[in-house]
Amino acid sequence: MRVEYINPFVESAFNVLKEVLDADISRGELYLKATSMPVLGVAAIIGLTGDVEGRVLLDMSMQTAIMIASTMNAEEFESFDALGKATIAELANMITGQAVTKLHDLGFHFDLSPPSLITGDNMVVTDSGVEALIVPLQLPQGKLEINVAVRERS
Amino acid sequence: MSNADLMVSSFGKRGDEDQQHQIIDFKMVTFTLGGKDYGIDIMQVKEIYKAEHFTPVPNTAPFVKGVFNLRGEIISIVDLRKMFHMQVIEKVTGETEDIIFLKSDDHLTGIVVDFINDVVGVDSSTIQPPHPLFGDINIKYISGVVEFEEKLFIVLDIDTILGAEDSGFGAVQAPVQSLDAQPVEPISPENLESPMELGYTFVTETLATLASFYVSEINENWVRSRFSEWQTLKGPESADIQLKSPDDAQQFLQGFQSANTGTFWSESMSSFYRSILPEAKTNVLSLWNIGCGAGYETLSLACLLRLQYPDKQIKIWAHDSDLISVSNAPNLVVGAKDLPEWLRSFTQEGNRGIIFKKEITDLILFEYHDALHDSPLPPVNFIVARDLLSYLQPDGKQKILADYKEKLVPGGVLIIGDNERILDDAFSENEKAGFKWYVKV
Repeated sequence: MRVEYINPFVESAFNVLKEVLDADISRGELYLKATSMPVLGVAAIIGLTGDVEGRVLLDMSMQTAIMIASTMNAEEFESFDALGKATIAELANMITGQAVTKLHDLGFHFDLSPPSLITGDNMVVTDSGVEALIVPLQLPQGKLEINVAVRERS
Repeated sequence: MSNADLMVSSFGKRGDEDQQHQIIDFKMVTFTLGGKDYGIDIMQVKEIYKAEHFTPVPNTAPFVKGVFNLRGEIISIVDLRKMFHMQVIEKVTGETEDIIFLKSDDHLTGIVVDFINDVVGVDSSTIQPPHPLFGDINIKYISGVVEFEEKLFIVLDIDTILGAEDSGFGAVQAPVQSLDAQPVEPISPENLESPMELGYTFVTETLATLASFYVSEINENWVRSRFSEWQTLKGPESADIQLKSPDDAQQFLQGFQSANTGTFWSESMSSFYRSILPEAKTNVLSLWNIGCGAGYETLSLACLLRLQYPDKQIKIWAHDSDLISVSNAPNLVVGAKDLPEWLRSFTQEGNRGIIFKKEITDLILFEYHDALHDSPLPPVNFIVARDLLSYLQPDGKQKILADYKEKLVPGGVLIIGDNERILDDAFSENEKAGFKWYVKV
Protein backbone atom coordinates (compact mmCIF):
# COMPACT_ATOMS: atom_id res chain seq x y z
CA MET A 1 0.00 0.00 0.00
CA ARG A 2 1.41 3.33 -1.04
CA VAL A 3 2.59 5.11 2.09
CA GLU A 4 0.94 8.41 1.17
CA TYR A 5 -2.47 6.75 1.49
CA ILE A 6 -2.02 5.53 5.04
CA ASN A 7 -2.24 8.70 7.07
CA PRO A 8 -5.38 10.14 5.46
CA PHE A 9 -7.28 6.99 6.40
CA VAL A 10 -5.87 6.84 9.92
CA GLU A 11 -6.51 10.52 10.57
CA SER A 12 -10.00 10.66 9.15
CA ALA A 13 -11.09 7.53 11.02
CA PHE A 14 -9.76 9.02 14.22
CA ASN A 15 -11.24 12.49 13.66
CA VAL A 16 -14.66 11.39 12.45
CA LEU A 17 -15.19 8.88 15.24
CA LYS A 18 -13.99 11.29 17.89
CA GLU A 19 -16.41 13.89 16.61
CA VAL A 20 -19.53 11.77 16.16
CA LEU A 21 -19.12 9.75 19.34
CA ASP A 22 -17.67 12.55 21.42
CA ALA A 23 -15.48 10.08 23.32
CA ASP A 24 -11.92 9.04 23.88
CA ILE A 25 -10.66 6.79 21.17
CA SER A 26 -7.44 4.87 21.32
CA ARG A 27 -5.71 3.39 18.35
CA GLY A 28 -3.77 0.16 18.23
CA GLU A 29 -0.73 -0.50 16.12
CA LEU A 30 -1.29 -0.52 12.37
CA TYR A 31 -0.48 -3.73 10.60
CA LEU A 32 -0.78 -5.55 7.31
CA LYS A 33 -2.74 -8.66 6.65
CA ALA A 34 -2.66 -10.74 3.52
CA THR A 35 -4.75 -13.80 4.09
CA SER A 36 -8.48 -14.14 4.36
CA MET A 37 -9.64 -12.53 7.54
CA PRO A 38 -12.76 -12.98 9.63
CA VAL A 39 -15.25 -10.14 9.82
CA LEU A 40 -16.67 -9.40 13.23
CA GLY A 41 -20.37 -9.38 12.33
CA VAL A 42 -21.19 -6.03 10.74
CA ALA A 43 -19.18 -4.82 7.77
CA ALA A 44 -19.68 -1.61 5.84
CA ILE A 45 -17.90 -1.70 2.48
CA ILE A 46 -17.06 1.21 0.22
CA GLY A 47 -15.39 0.62 -3.11
CA LEU A 48 -12.59 2.87 -4.33
CA THR A 49 -11.61 3.49 -7.90
CA GLY A 50 -9.60 6.07 -9.82
CA ASP A 51 -5.84 6.14 -9.32
CA VAL A 52 -6.31 2.94 -7.35
CA GLU A 53 -8.66 0.04 -7.15
CA GLY A 54 -9.79 -1.53 -3.92
CA ARG A 55 -12.12 -1.07 -1.00
CA VAL A 56 -12.44 0.21 2.53
CA LEU A 57 -14.18 -1.97 5.08
CA LEU A 58 -15.45 -0.90 8.48
CA ASP A 59 -15.69 -3.92 10.67
CA MET A 60 -17.30 -4.32 14.11
CA SER A 61 -19.42 -6.68 16.17
CA MET A 62 -23.20 -6.45 16.13
CA GLN A 63 -23.22 -5.22 19.72
CA THR A 64 -20.73 -2.45 18.92
CA ALA A 65 -22.72 -1.45 15.84
CA ILE A 66 -25.92 -1.12 17.87
CA MET A 67 -24.15 0.91 20.52
CA ILE A 68 -22.51 3.23 18.00
CA ALA A 69 -25.84 3.75 16.25
CA SER A 70 -27.46 4.46 19.63
CA THR A 71 -24.83 7.07 20.50
CA MET A 72 -24.98 8.75 17.09
CA ASN A 73 -28.77 8.96 17.12
CA ALA A 74 -29.01 9.79 20.83
CA GLU A 75 -31.55 7.05 21.49
CA GLU A 76 -31.34 3.46 22.70
CA PHE A 77 -31.62 0.89 19.92
CA GLU A 78 -32.80 -2.55 20.91
CA SER A 79 -31.97 -4.19 17.60
CA PHE A 80 -30.00 -3.37 14.49
CA ASP A 81 -32.91 -1.87 12.54
CA ALA A 82 -33.02 0.13 9.32
CA LEU A 83 -32.03 3.37 11.02
CA GLY A 84 -29.13 1.64 12.73
CA LYS A 85 -27.93 0.21 9.45
CA ALA A 86 -28.21 3.57 7.73
CA THR A 87 -26.19 5.11 10.57
CA ILE A 88 -23.30 2.68 10.24
CA ALA A 89 -23.30 3.02 6.46
CA GLU A 90 -23.19 6.77 6.86
CA LEU A 91 -20.31 6.48 9.32
CA ALA A 92 -18.34 4.51 6.74
CA ASN A 93 -19.19 7.15 4.17
CA MET A 94 -18.00 9.97 6.41
CA ILE A 95 -14.67 8.31 7.21
CA THR A 96 -13.90 7.30 3.65
CA GLY A 97 -15.17 10.60 2.27
CA GLN A 98 -12.92 12.63 4.52
CA ALA A 99 -9.92 10.42 3.69
CA VAL A 100 -10.54 10.75 -0.03
CA THR A 101 -10.84 14.53 0.33
CA LYS A 102 -7.46 14.63 2.06
CA LEU A 103 -5.97 12.45 -0.65
CA HIS A 104 -7.44 14.72 -3.32
CA ASP A 105 -5.59 17.64 -1.73
CA LEU A 106 -2.39 15.61 -2.00
CA GLY A 107 -3.00 15.05 -5.69
CA PHE A 108 -4.50 11.56 -5.71
CA HIS A 109 -7.85 11.12 -7.37
CA PHE A 110 -10.27 8.53 -6.04
CA ASP A 111 -13.95 7.90 -6.63
CA LEU A 112 -16.20 6.19 -4.12
CA SER A 113 -19.00 3.71 -4.46
CA PRO A 114 -22.03 4.02 -2.16
CA PRO A 115 -21.60 2.04 1.05
CA SER A 116 -22.96 -1.49 1.29
CA LEU A 117 -23.70 -3.01 4.64
CA ILE A 118 -23.25 -6.72 5.21
CA THR A 119 -24.21 -8.47 8.42
CA GLY A 120 -23.97 -12.07 9.49
CA ASP A 121 -21.96 -14.55 11.50
CA ASN A 122 -18.72 -16.29 10.56
CA MET A 123 -18.01 -14.10 7.57
CA VAL A 124 -14.58 -13.99 5.95
CA VAL A 125 -13.28 -11.38 3.55
CA THR A 126 -10.65 -12.26 0.95
CA ASP A 127 -8.82 -9.93 -1.40
CA SER A 128 -6.64 -11.69 -3.87
CA GLY A 129 -3.26 -10.30 -4.70
CA VAL A 130 -3.43 -7.32 -2.36
CA GLU A 131 -2.78 -7.02 1.34
CA ALA A 132 -4.96 -4.99 3.67
CA LEU A 133 -3.92 -2.26 6.07
CA ILE A 134 -5.68 -2.69 9.40
CA VAL A 135 -6.31 0.29 11.67
CA PRO A 136 -7.63 -1.09 14.97
CA LEU A 137 -9.58 1.42 17.07
CA GLN A 138 -10.86 1.00 20.59
CA LEU A 139 -14.05 2.93 21.32
CA PRO A 140 -16.13 3.00 24.50
CA GLN A 141 -18.69 1.06 22.44
CA GLY A 142 -16.26 -1.68 21.57
CA LYS A 143 -13.66 -2.55 18.95
CA LEU A 144 -13.81 -1.21 15.40
CA GLU A 145 -11.40 -1.99 12.60
CA ILE A 146 -10.79 0.03 9.48
CA ASN A 147 -9.53 -2.30 6.81
CA VAL A 148 -8.13 -0.73 3.65
CA ALA A 149 -7.07 -2.86 0.69
CA VAL A 150 -6.10 -0.87 -2.40
CA ARG A 151 -3.59 -1.26 -5.16
CA GLU A 152 -2.24 1.04 -7.79
CA ARG A 153 -3.97 0.79 -11.09
CA SER A 154 -1.27 -0.39 -13.43
CA MET B 1 -2.09 15.98 15.28
CA SER B 2 0.71 15.94 12.74
CA ASN B 3 1.42 12.94 10.59
CA ALA B 4 4.60 12.17 12.42
CA ASP B 5 2.85 12.24 15.81
CA LEU B 6 0.20 9.87 14.61
CA MET B 7 2.75 7.43 13.34
CA VAL B 8 4.83 7.58 16.46
CA SER B 9 1.91 7.15 18.81
CA SER B 10 0.84 4.07 16.95
CA PHE B 11 4.17 2.52 17.73
CA GLY B 12 4.19 3.43 21.36
CA LYS B 13 4.15 -0.18 22.45
CA ARG B 14 7.38 -0.99 20.80
CA GLY B 15 9.58 -0.37 23.85
CA ASP B 16 7.63 -2.89 25.89
CA GLU B 17 8.12 -5.53 23.30
CA ASP B 18 11.85 -5.16 23.42
CA GLN B 19 11.81 -5.82 27.11
CA GLN B 20 9.98 -9.02 26.56
CA HIS B 21 13.07 -10.52 24.98
CA GLN B 22 13.96 -13.18 27.44
CA ILE B 23 17.44 -13.84 28.54
CA ILE B 24 18.56 -17.23 27.37
CA ASP B 25 20.93 -18.45 29.99
CA PHE B 26 20.10 -22.12 30.23
CA LYS B 27 20.55 -24.49 27.33
CA MET B 28 19.54 -28.06 27.41
CA VAL B 29 19.76 -31.07 25.18
CA THR B 30 16.26 -32.47 24.84
CA PHE B 31 15.35 -36.09 24.28
CA THR B 32 12.54 -38.51 24.84
CA LEU B 33 12.35 -41.34 27.30
CA GLY B 34 9.34 -43.60 27.14
CA GLY B 35 7.71 -41.08 24.81
CA LYS B 36 8.02 -38.11 27.18
CA ASP B 37 10.21 -35.03 26.86
CA TYR B 38 13.25 -34.54 29.04
CA GLY B 39 16.19 -32.17 29.10
CA ILE B 40 19.74 -32.15 30.44
CA ASP B 41 21.86 -29.08 31.08
CA ILE B 42 24.09 -28.65 28.05
CA MET B 43 27.08 -27.84 30.22
CA GLN B 44 27.08 -31.44 31.42
CA VAL B 45 26.91 -32.91 27.96
CA LYS B 46 30.18 -33.76 26.34
CA GLU B 47 28.77 -34.95 23.09
CA ILE B 48 25.99 -36.84 21.47
CA TYR B 49 26.52 -39.96 19.50
CA LYS B 50 24.85 -42.83 17.72
CA ALA B 51 26.17 -46.33 18.12
CA GLU B 52 25.39 -49.98 18.49
CA HIS B 53 27.46 -52.96 19.75
CA PHE B 54 28.11 -52.37 23.41
CA THR B 55 30.32 -54.77 25.28
CA PRO B 56 28.24 -56.31 28.08
CA VAL B 57 29.79 -56.42 31.52
CA PRO B 58 28.80 -59.37 33.67
CA ASN B 59 27.34 -59.00 37.13
CA THR B 60 26.13 -55.43 36.81
CA ALA B 61 22.73 -53.87 37.37
CA PRO B 62 20.20 -54.53 34.61
CA PHE B 63 20.21 -50.91 33.46
CA VAL B 64 23.92 -51.05 32.60
CA LYS B 65 24.10 -51.73 28.95
CA GLY B 66 27.82 -52.31 28.91
CA VAL B 67 30.91 -50.39 28.05
CA PHE B 68 31.80 -48.58 24.92
CA ASN B 69 35.05 -47.52 23.34
CA LEU B 70 34.83 -43.89 22.38
CA ARG B 71 38.00 -43.01 20.52
CA GLY B 72 40.06 -45.08 22.90
CA GLU B 73 38.25 -44.03 26.06
CA ILE B 74 36.21 -46.73 27.78
CA ILE B 75 32.89 -45.42 28.95
CA SER B 76 30.03 -47.09 30.80
CA ILE B 77 26.71 -46.97 29.05
CA VAL B 78 23.52 -46.81 31.08
CA ASP B 79 20.05 -47.24 29.72
CA LEU B 80 18.05 -44.52 31.47
CA ARG B 81 14.76 -46.14 30.52
CA LYS B 82 15.65 -49.34 32.31
CA MET B 83 17.02 -47.39 35.24
CA PHE B 84 13.70 -45.63 35.62
CA HIS B 85 11.63 -48.71 34.81
CA MET B 86 10.19 -47.32 31.63
CA GLN B 87 9.21 -49.10 28.49
CA VAL B 88 12.18 -49.71 26.21
CA ILE B 89 11.68 -49.57 22.49
CA GLU B 90 13.93 -52.38 21.32
CA LYS B 91 16.00 -51.42 18.33
CA VAL B 92 16.32 -53.94 15.57
CA THR B 93 19.81 -55.12 14.77
CA GLY B 94 21.71 -52.61 12.74
CA GLU B 95 19.74 -49.69 14.14
CA THR B 96 21.83 -47.39 16.29
CA GLU B 97 20.99 -46.13 19.76
CA ASP B 98 21.03 -42.41 20.59
CA ILE B 99 23.60 -41.81 23.29
CA ILE B 100 24.40 -38.71 25.30
CA PHE B 101 27.84 -38.62 26.88
CA LEU B 102 27.76 -36.79 30.18
CA LYS B 103 30.52 -35.52 32.33
CA SER B 104 30.06 -35.48 36.05
CA ASP B 105 33.00 -35.15 38.44
CA ASP B 106 35.46 -35.86 35.61
CA HIS B 107 33.73 -39.14 34.88
CA LEU B 108 32.30 -39.76 31.48
CA THR B 109 29.14 -41.81 31.30
CA GLY B 110 26.94 -42.52 28.35
CA ILE B 111 23.18 -42.67 28.66
CA VAL B 112 20.93 -44.33 26.13
CA VAL B 113 17.67 -42.54 25.38
CA ASP B 114 14.82 -43.07 22.90
CA PHE B 115 15.63 -40.15 20.65
CA ILE B 116 17.74 -37.04 20.99
CA ASN B 117 15.71 -34.14 19.70
CA ASP B 118 17.26 -30.75 19.81
CA VAL B 119 19.06 -28.14 21.81
CA VAL B 120 16.81 -25.47 23.24
CA GLY B 121 17.61 -22.34 25.14
CA VAL B 122 15.41 -21.11 27.96
CA ASP B 123 15.49 -18.51 30.67
CA SER B 124 16.63 -20.33 33.81
CA SER B 125 14.22 -18.31 35.94
CA THR B 126 11.32 -19.99 34.16
CA ILE B 127 12.39 -23.44 35.34
CA GLN B 128 9.91 -24.49 37.99
CA PRO B 129 10.57 -26.89 40.82
CA PRO B 130 9.29 -30.43 40.28
CA HIS B 131 5.96 -31.47 41.67
CA PRO B 132 5.87 -34.57 43.90
CA LEU B 133 3.29 -36.14 41.62
CA PHE B 134 5.65 -36.68 38.71
CA GLY B 135 5.34 -40.32 37.93
CA ASP B 136 7.95 -42.22 36.07
CA ILE B 137 11.05 -40.84 37.70
CA ASN B 138 11.83 -40.45 41.37
CA ILE B 139 11.53 -36.78 42.23
CA LYS B 140 15.05 -36.52 43.58
CA TYR B 141 16.43 -37.05 40.09
CA ILE B 142 14.50 -34.08 38.69
CA SER B 143 15.84 -30.59 39.02
CA GLY B 144 12.84 -28.84 37.50
CA VAL B 145 10.28 -28.47 34.77
CA VAL B 146 10.37 -25.92 32.01
CA GLU B 147 8.08 -25.00 29.16
CA PHE B 148 9.41 -24.43 25.67
CA GLU B 149 7.22 -23.94 22.64
CA GLU B 150 4.21 -25.30 24.45
CA LYS B 151 5.94 -28.49 25.48
CA LEU B 152 6.93 -29.31 29.04
CA PHE B 153 10.43 -30.62 29.55
CA ILE B 154 11.52 -32.36 32.69
CA VAL B 155 15.07 -31.31 33.49
CA LEU B 156 17.05 -34.17 34.95
CA ASP B 157 19.58 -33.70 37.71
CA ILE B 158 22.55 -35.54 36.30
CA ASP B 159 24.79 -35.32 39.34
CA THR B 160 22.19 -37.07 41.47
CA ILE B 161 21.45 -39.69 38.85
CA LEU B 162 25.07 -40.57 38.17
CA GLY B 163 26.06 -40.35 41.80
CA ALA B 164 23.06 -42.32 43.00
CA GLU B 165 24.41 -44.79 45.46
CA ASP B 166 21.24 -46.67 46.12
CA SER B 167 20.81 -47.36 42.46
CA GLY B 168 23.95 -49.40 42.63
CA PHE B 169 25.44 -47.13 40.12
CA GLY B 170 28.79 -47.02 41.83
CA ALA B 171 29.42 -50.56 40.70
CA VAL B 172 29.25 -49.86 37.05
CA GLN B 173 32.51 -48.06 36.47
CA ALA B 174 34.16 -50.01 33.78
CA PRO B 175 36.80 -52.56 34.72
CA VAL B 176 39.42 -51.04 32.54
CA GLN B 177 42.02 -53.80 32.68
CA SER B 178 39.82 -56.58 31.45
CA LEU B 179 39.00 -54.64 28.45
CA ASP B 180 39.02 -56.40 25.26
CA ALA B 181 36.15 -54.59 23.71
CA GLN B 182 34.87 -55.69 20.40
CA PRO B 183 35.79 -53.50 17.48
CA VAL B 184 33.94 -50.24 17.52
CA GLU B 185 32.28 -48.93 14.46
CA PRO B 186 34.50 -46.49 12.66
CA ILE B 187 33.46 -43.00 13.58
CA SER B 188 31.91 -41.42 10.57
CA PRO B 189 31.47 -37.67 10.39
CA GLU B 190 27.69 -37.78 10.30
CA ASN B 191 27.22 -39.57 13.57
CA LEU B 192 29.73 -37.49 15.41
CA GLU B 193 28.84 -34.11 16.72
CA SER B 194 31.92 -32.54 18.24
CA PRO B 195 31.64 -29.99 21.03
CA MET B 196 32.64 -27.29 18.59
CA GLU B 197 29.92 -28.28 16.17
CA LEU B 198 27.47 -28.34 19.04
CA GLY B 199 28.59 -24.81 20.02
CA TYR B 200 27.98 -23.68 16.46
CA THR B 201 24.51 -25.17 16.50
CA PHE B 202 23.65 -23.30 19.70
CA VAL B 203 24.84 -20.05 18.26
CA THR B 204 22.78 -20.46 15.10
CA GLU B 205 19.70 -21.28 17.14
CA THR B 206 20.20 -18.36 19.47
CA LEU B 207 20.62 -16.02 16.51
CA ALA B 208 17.18 -17.02 15.31
CA THR B 209 15.64 -16.41 18.73
CA LEU B 210 17.41 -13.21 19.68
CA ALA B 211 18.07 -11.49 16.38
CA SER B 212 15.57 -13.15 14.00
CA PHE B 213 18.59 -14.12 11.95
CA TYR B 214 18.21 -17.49 10.30
CA VAL B 215 21.30 -19.40 9.33
CA SER B 216 20.91 -21.27 6.05
CA GLU B 217 22.87 -21.95 2.89
CA ILE B 218 22.29 -18.25 2.09
CA ASN B 219 24.67 -17.05 4.80
CA GLU B 220 26.34 -20.16 6.21
CA ASN B 221 29.80 -19.28 4.87
CA TRP B 222 29.79 -16.00 6.67
CA VAL B 223 28.38 -17.38 9.91
CA ARG B 224 30.96 -20.19 10.02
CA SER B 225 33.90 -17.90 9.56
CA ARG B 226 32.44 -15.43 12.02
CA PHE B 227 31.96 -18.27 14.49
CA SER B 228 35.63 -19.20 14.46
CA GLU B 229 36.51 -15.51 14.78
CA TRP B 230 34.07 -15.30 17.67
CA GLN B 231 35.70 -18.27 19.39
CA THR B 232 39.10 -16.63 19.17
CA LEU B 233 37.57 -13.45 20.51
CA LYS B 234 35.70 -15.01 23.41
CA GLY B 235 38.14 -17.70 24.50
CA PRO B 236 37.93 -21.47 24.46
CA GLU B 237 35.27 -21.89 27.19
CA SER B 238 32.07 -22.97 25.51
CA ALA B 239 30.04 -20.95 28.03
CA ASP B 240 31.62 -17.73 26.81
CA ILE B 241 30.91 -18.19 23.14
CA GLN B 242 27.20 -18.53 23.65
CA LEU B 243 24.96 -15.59 22.94
CA LYS B 244 22.95 -14.69 26.00
CA SER B 245 21.14 -11.50 25.07
CA PRO B 246 19.98 -9.57 22.01
CA ASP B 247 23.05 -7.36 22.43
CA ASP B 248 25.34 -10.38 22.20
CA ALA B 249 23.53 -11.49 19.07
CA GLN B 250 23.91 -8.07 17.48
CA GLN B 251 27.58 -8.07 18.39
CA PHE B 252 27.98 -11.45 16.73
CA LEU B 253 26.28 -10.16 13.60
CA GLN B 254 28.55 -7.13 13.38
CA GLY B 255 30.06 -7.01 9.96
CA PHE B 256 27.25 -8.94 8.34
CA GLN B 257 25.49 -5.86 7.02
CA SER B 258 26.19 -4.99 3.45
CA ALA B 259 28.18 -1.91 2.56
CA ASN B 260 26.24 1.37 2.64
CA THR B 261 23.27 -0.04 4.52
CA GLY B 262 21.00 2.78 5.66
CA THR B 263 22.99 5.40 3.77
CA PHE B 264 23.38 6.50 0.18
CA TRP B 265 25.46 4.25 -2.01
CA SER B 266 29.02 5.40 -2.41
CA GLU B 267 30.23 6.62 -5.75
CA SER B 268 32.50 3.61 -6.27
CA MET B 269 29.72 1.18 -5.52
CA SER B 270 27.23 2.87 -7.80
CA SER B 271 29.66 3.19 -10.67
CA PHE B 272 30.56 -0.47 -10.32
CA TYR B 273 26.95 -1.57 -10.51
CA ARG B 274 26.38 0.79 -13.43
CA SER B 275 29.16 -0.99 -15.26
CA ILE B 276 27.45 -4.39 -14.98
CA LEU B 277 23.92 -3.33 -15.87
CA PRO B 278 22.69 -4.92 -19.08
CA GLU B 279 21.72 -2.95 -22.14
CA ALA B 280 18.08 -1.91 -22.05
CA LYS B 281 15.94 -3.76 -24.55
CA THR B 282 12.63 -2.20 -23.60
CA ASN B 283 11.47 1.34 -23.08
CA VAL B 284 10.32 0.80 -19.55
CA LEU B 285 12.73 -0.47 -16.90
CA SER B 286 11.48 -1.47 -13.51
CA LEU B 287 13.20 -2.21 -10.24
CA TRP B 288 11.93 -3.82 -7.06
CA ASN B 289 13.68 -2.67 -3.90
CA ILE B 290 12.65 -4.79 -0.91
CA GLY B 291 13.55 -3.53 2.52
CA CYS B 292 13.97 0.05 1.33
CA GLY B 293 13.92 1.41 4.90
CA ALA B 294 14.06 5.18 4.99
CA GLY B 295 14.71 5.35 1.24
CA TYR B 296 18.44 6.12 0.97
CA GLU B 297 19.11 3.00 -1.02
CA THR B 298 16.09 3.51 -3.25
CA LEU B 299 17.05 7.09 -4.09
CA SER B 300 20.62 5.96 -4.87
CA LEU B 301 19.19 3.32 -7.19
CA ALA B 302 16.85 5.80 -8.86
CA CYS B 303 19.75 8.16 -9.62
CA LEU B 304 21.95 5.25 -10.72
CA LEU B 305 19.34 4.03 -13.21
CA ARG B 306 18.66 7.57 -14.42
CA LEU B 307 22.38 8.05 -15.14
CA GLN B 308 22.68 4.70 -16.86
CA TYR B 309 19.48 4.89 -18.89
CA PRO B 310 18.91 8.62 -19.50
CA ASP B 311 16.12 8.24 -22.04
CA LYS B 312 14.20 5.29 -20.64
CA GLN B 313 11.12 5.27 -18.50
CA ILE B 314 12.04 4.04 -15.05
CA LYS B 315 9.73 2.68 -12.39
CA ILE B 316 10.83 1.65 -8.90
CA TRP B 317 8.72 -0.15 -6.33
CA ALA B 318 10.21 0.30 -2.88
CA HIS B 319 8.76 -1.89 -0.15
CA ASP B 320 9.29 -2.08 3.56
CA SER B 321 7.26 -3.45 6.43
CA ASP B 322 8.66 -0.90 8.89
CA LEU B 323 5.87 1.67 8.84
CA ILE B 324 7.80 4.57 10.38
CA SER B 325 10.83 4.33 8.10
CA VAL B 326 8.92 3.91 4.90
CA SER B 327 6.37 6.64 5.76
CA ASN B 328 9.08 9.23 5.90
CA ALA B 329 10.86 8.00 2.79
CA PRO B 330 8.86 9.99 0.19
CA ASN B 331 9.72 13.27 1.90
CA LEU B 332 13.32 12.51 2.80
CA VAL B 333 15.33 15.57 3.75
CA VAL B 334 19.10 15.11 3.53
CA GLY B 335 21.90 16.77 5.44
CA ALA B 336 24.60 18.21 3.16
CA LYS B 337 27.35 16.05 4.67
CA ASP B 338 25.40 12.83 4.16
CA LEU B 339 25.02 13.43 0.46
CA PRO B 340 27.70 11.89 -1.76
CA GLU B 341 29.04 14.09 -4.52
CA TRP B 342 27.63 11.95 -7.35
CA LEU B 343 24.06 12.56 -6.19
CA ARG B 344 24.30 16.33 -5.85
CA SER B 345 23.02 17.13 -9.31
CA PHE B 346 19.77 15.30 -8.54
CA THR B 347 18.95 17.40 -5.49
CA GLN B 348 17.76 20.90 -4.76
CA GLU B 349 17.26 23.16 -1.73
CA GLY B 350 13.89 22.62 -0.09
CA ASN B 351 12.27 24.46 2.79
CA ARG B 352 13.78 22.23 5.44
CA GLY B 353 16.99 21.12 3.77
CA ILE B 354 18.22 19.31 0.69
CA ILE B 355 15.58 17.29 -1.10
CA PHE B 356 15.62 15.19 -4.25
CA LYS B 357 14.23 16.67 -7.44
CA LYS B 358 10.75 15.66 -8.46
CA GLU B 359 12.09 13.96 -11.59
CA ILE B 360 13.80 11.43 -9.28
CA THR B 361 11.13 11.04 -6.58
CA ASP B 362 8.50 10.56 -9.28
CA LEU B 363 10.30 7.38 -10.37
CA ILE B 364 9.71 5.75 -7.00
CA LEU B 365 6.60 4.34 -5.43
CA PHE B 366 7.14 3.76 -1.72
CA GLU B 367 4.77 1.17 -0.30
CA TYR B 368 4.09 -0.17 3.16
CA HIS B 369 4.25 -3.81 2.24
CA ASP B 370 5.26 -7.07 3.80
CA ALA B 371 7.31 -8.99 1.28
CA LEU B 372 5.85 -12.24 2.56
CA HIS B 373 2.42 -11.20 1.34
CA ASP B 374 1.32 -11.38 -2.25
CA SER B 375 2.03 -8.34 -4.28
CA PRO B 376 0.49 -7.34 -7.61
CA LEU B 377 3.90 -6.41 -8.99
CA PRO B 378 4.48 -6.87 -12.73
CA PRO B 379 7.72 -8.54 -13.96
CA VAL B 380 10.75 -6.42 -13.16
CA ASN B 381 14.22 -5.95 -14.69
CA PHE B 382 16.09 -5.53 -11.43
CA ILE B 383 15.66 -6.67 -7.85
CA VAL B 384 17.67 -5.18 -5.02
CA ALA B 385 17.04 -6.83 -1.66
CA ARG B 386 20.16 -6.73 0.45
CA ASP B 387 20.31 -8.67 3.72
CA LEU B 388 16.67 -9.69 3.46
CA LEU B 389 16.84 -13.46 3.02
CA SER B 390 18.90 -13.97 6.18
CA TYR B 391 16.17 -12.43 8.31
CA LEU B 392 13.37 -14.64 7.02
CA GLN B 393 12.22 -17.93 8.44
CA PRO B 394 12.78 -20.89 6.12
CA ASP B 395 9.22 -20.78 4.73
CA GLY B 396 9.40 -17.08 4.05
CA LYS B 397 12.80 -17.46 2.42
CA GLN B 398 11.45 -20.09 0.03
CA LYS B 399 8.52 -17.89 -0.87
CA ILE B 400 10.71 -14.86 -1.56
CA LEU B 401 13.12 -16.91 -3.65
CA ALA B 402 10.17 -18.19 -5.67
CA ASP B 403 9.00 -14.58 -6.08
CA TYR B 404 12.43 -13.57 -7.38
CA LYS B 405 12.28 -16.32 -9.95
CA GLU B 406 8.78 -15.41 -10.99
CA LYS B 407 9.11 -11.62 -11.09
CA LEU B 408 12.60 -11.17 -12.54
CA VAL B 409 12.71 -11.16 -16.34
CA PRO B 410 15.33 -13.39 -18.01
CA GLY B 411 18.64 -11.53 -18.02
CA GLY B 412 17.41 -9.43 -15.12
CA VAL B 413 19.84 -8.51 -12.35
CA LEU B 414 19.42 -9.49 -8.71
CA ILE B 415 21.49 -7.93 -5.95
CA ILE B 416 21.46 -9.49 -2.48
CA GLY B 417 23.54 -8.87 0.63
CA ASP B 418 27.34 -8.79 0.45
CA ASN B 419 27.55 -11.80 2.76
CA GLU B 420 24.71 -13.77 1.27
CA ARG B 421 24.64 -16.15 -1.64
CA ILE B 422 21.96 -17.95 -3.57
CA LEU B 423 22.62 -21.46 -4.80
CA ASP B 424 19.98 -21.94 -7.44
CA ASP B 425 20.16 -22.92 -11.07
CA ALA B 426 17.80 -20.11 -11.99
CA PHE B 427 20.44 -17.50 -11.21
CA SER B 428 24.05 -17.32 -12.33
CA GLU B 429 26.45 -15.94 -9.78
CA ASN B 430 28.90 -13.22 -10.77
CA GLU B 431 31.63 -11.64 -8.72
CA LYS B 432 34.06 -8.90 -9.58
CA ALA B 433 36.08 -6.38 -7.58
CA GLY B 434 34.49 -7.58 -4.35
CA PHE B 435 30.94 -6.99 -5.61
CA LYS B 436 28.49 -9.77 -6.27
CA TRP B 437 25.41 -9.96 -8.42
CA TYR B 438 23.12 -12.56 -9.93
CA VAL B 439 21.66 -12.77 -13.40
CA LYS B 440 18.44 -14.62 -14.08
CA VAL B 441 19.12 -17.41 -16.55
